[in-house]
Amino acid sequence: MTTNKWKSAGLPRRTVLGGMAAAGAAAFMPRRIHAQEQITLRWWSPQSSPEQLAAYETQIANFEALHENVSVVFERTSDEGYAPQLAAAFASGDVPNVVTHLPSFAVSNYWRNDLVEPFNDVIEMIGPDKFYEGVNRIYEIDDGQYAGTSIGNSAANVIWLRTDLMEQAGIDKNPRTWDELLSACQAMQGGGIYGAPLPYGRNSMTSLVFIGVIHQAGGMVFSPDLDVAIDSQETRDALEFYRAMREYCPPGATNYSWGESLTAFVSGATATGLYTGRVLTNVAAQNPSIADHITCDYYPTISEEVEPWTFNDFPSVFIPKDAQNMEATKQFAAFLFDPEGYIQQLHAAPGHVLPVLKTIAEDPAYLDNEIIEKYREEVDLMSEAAANGYNLGWESPEHQPNTRAGEVVNSGVIAEMVQRVVLNDENVDEVLGETASRIEEIMAG
Amino acid sequence: MTAIATNPPRDRRSPLERAYARLGVLLIAPTIIVFSLVIVYPLLAAIYLSVFSIYTPTLQGDFVGAANYIELLTGGAFWHSLGVTLIWTVGTLSLQIIAGIGLALLLHQNIWFRSLARSLVLFPYFLSTVVAVLVWRWLFNDLYGALNHGLIQLGILDMPLDWLGSMPNAMIGVILVGAWKYFPFVVIAVLARLQTIPENLYEAARIDGAGPVGRFFDITLPQLRSVLVVIILLRAIWDFKEFDLLYLLTGGGPVTSTQTLSLLVYQEAFGLNQMGQAAAYSVGMMLVMLAFMVLYIRRTGGK
Repeated sequence: MTTNKWKSAGLPRRTVLGGMAAAGAAAFMPRRIHAQEQITLRWWSPQSSPEQLAAYETQIANFEALHENVSVVFERTSDEGYAPQLAAAFASGDVPNVVTHLPSFAVSNYWRNDLVEPFNDVIEMIGPDKFYEGVNRIYEIDDGQYAGTSIGNSAANVIWLRTDLMEQAGIDKNPRTWDELLSACQAMQGGGIYGAPLPYGRNSMTSLVFIGVIHQAGGMVFSPDLDVAIDSQETRDALEFYRAMREYCPPGATNYSWGESLTAFVSGATATGLYTGRVLTNVAAQNPSIADHITCDYYPTISEEVEPWTFNDFPSVFIPKDAQNMEATKQFAAFLFDPEGYIQQLHAAPGHVLPVLKTIAEDPAYLDNEIIEKYREEVDLMSEAAANGYNLGWESPEHQPNTRAGEVVNSGVIAEMVQRVVLNDENVDEVLGETASRIEEIMAG
Repeated sequence: MTAIATNPPRDRRSPLERAYARLGVLLIAPTIIVFSLVIVYPLLAAIYLSVFSIYTPTLQGDFVGAANYIELLTGGAFWHSLGVTLIWTVGTLSLQIIAGIGLALLLHQNIWFRSLARSLVLFPYFLSTVVAVLVWRWLFNDLYGALNHGLIQLGILDMPLDWLGSMPNAMIGVILVGAWKYFPFVVIAVLARLQTIPENLYEAARIDGAGPVGRFFDITLPQLRSVLVVIILLRAIWDFKEFDLLYLLTGGGPVTSTQTLSLLVYQEAFGLNQMGQAAAYSVGMMLVMLAFMVLYIRRTGGK
C-alpha cells in the first residue's frame, strides 16, 4: 500500500531507499548538525562598569560575527554575590559557560570539588608563550592541570596619595612605613578631609585588605603547609596599626566596602586611598580637579625591613564542568584574549585590570591610551606590584595552594576579628584564639 | 444465645451526594498538590538536609545525624541571632503598628489632599527594597548623607554620626528603615477597618461625655482588635524572616550585631557552603516561629 502511494507520488523505490540511507547517515553525523544549531553561551562577571560592558559587547559581537550559530549573553554578578549565585548554579546544574573576574581562590575551591573544566585546551588556544611567566602558576592546583587562567592582574591594595595635600602638609616623600603613614594622615587630616578610607565593615574587602596588613607586618594567615598561623605577634601588630588608623578614617568606614572606599578618595574626602587603578578613570570622570595631584605607591609596611605585599586577586577565567556546548565555550574563553576586544576591555578601566599577556602589554594599541600615557609611572608600578602579588589562596611562593581560602574570606571571620578588636575593643588574645579556631574549623570542612 | 444478624454498613448517601463528594475531592486536589509541592516538599527537604553535612555547590555530603542540631543548641550562634531577630522584630513591628495606626487615624479625618496623602503613604511599601536601601544608605552616608548634613547644620551634631557601622546606631537604623518601609501595610488595613466602624458609636460616646482619648481607647481600639490581630500575626512572621533589607543595609554587622537568623542561615549556606547546618538553623527558626504563633493565637483567639 505504502509503495503504491510512493509510486503514485512519483517516487521510485530506489529514490526512497536512497533518501532513507542519507537520513540515516545524517543521524550519525551529530557534530555536523550540532554545528548548524543555534546555541547560546552565558558569560558571568562581577565586573560590569558601563565602559567594561561596552568592551564586552565588542568582544561578543566579534565572536558572534565569526560564529553565526552562536549568541553570547552577558549576565552580571557581584563581588559579594557571586558565591551564592554560583552555588545555586552548580547545585541546579544550570551553570554559565564562562565566568570571569572572580578571585583565583574561588576557582581553586570549585576545582577541588570537581566543578571546573580543565583549562589546558584554552591556554593552548591562547598560546602559553604569550603569558607573563608565572601567571598561570596559581591555577595549577594539580600538576599539569589548570583550573583556569587570569584574565588580568590587579594590584588591589596600592596606596593612593594626594600630592597637593602632601605638599601643603610639608610631606616630601611617600610614606614607606606605618609610622610615616600615620604621621602623614595626621598632617593631612582636617578641613573636612580625612586621612584614609580603610574598610572596617563586615565584608570581604575588610578581610582581604587586612590579610594584606598582616603580611605587611611580616606575618601570615597560614603557614606554607597551610596550618593556621594567624595567632601571632605580627597579627597583633597589624590590629594595633588598624586601630591607630581608625581615627584618620571617616566615621562610616565601619561599613565601607570597595565602592565606598574608592568614592571616598576619588571625591576628595580622604587624603589617601587604597584601591586598584580604577581610581584613575574615576578621578578623570568624576573629579578631574585632582587628576594632576594623585599618585600611587606600594602600601607601607611595619618597617623598611618588611617587603611590601600586594593583594592580587588574579581575576580569573574559568569554565564550569557542566557547561553546555563545551567546544564553543572553550573557543569563546580563548577569544576573550583576542587583542581587539581584550585591549578595549583593559582600556575600560586602565590600570584596574592589567594585561597578563606580554604581547598585549607591549602592543602600541594598548599603550595608546590617554590615561595610561598620563599615569605611565603609576601603571608600571601597579603592573610590577601585581606581577609579584599574592592572595589568601597563595600567600607566598613557598605556600601550597589554599583551596579553602574562598570560604575563609566569605565566612567573614577575619573582618569580624577586625571589628571585634578595633570597634568593640575586645581582648585581642581571646579574639585571636577564637579566630584561629574558627579558621581551623573551616579548613577541616 | 442467638446472634443477631447485622447488615454491613451501607453508604446512605444518595448517588448525587457521592458524585458531589468525588467532585469535591477533584476540585481540592490541585490545591493539595500545589500545597504539597511548595510547602510540604521544601519542609521535608529542609529536615532531610539538616541531618547531613552538605557542601552547597554539589549538594553532596555525609549523614551526621543530630550533629547539626547539637551545634545549633550548643554553638551560641543560633541563640545570639535569635536574640537579634527578636529585638529587630519587636522593635520594627511596634513602630509599624504605632505609626500605622496614627497615620490611619489622621488619614481618616477630613483633611486637605486626603486622597493624595492616602496614595503617597503607600509609596515606601511599593518601593523595591533594593532601591529603598540604596536611598537610605545614601541618607545615612557619613560624608555626603543628608541626615548627617542636616543634623550638623542644625547644630545637633559636631561630627558626622556613624549610623550603620556601630551599635546601637546600626540596630536603631535598621529598625527605623524597616518601620518606614512596612508601616503602610498597617495603614491600609487599619484605614479600611476604621471606615466600617459605625458612627453612632462615637455619637453615643460623645453624649456620654467621652473625649477623643476615651473614644479611641473605648471604641476605636476594641473595634480594631480583630484586624490588629491579623496584622500583627502577618507582620511578625514577615519581619521575623526579613532578609534583604538587613543584608543590604548592614550585612549583619557590626560584627554580628544585626545578624538575624535569616542572615545566619544565608551565611552558613553560601558563605561557608554548609547547607546541612543552614538547614538545621532554618528548621530551628521555623520551630521558634511556630511556637510564638501558637502562643499568640491561643492568647488572642478566644477574644
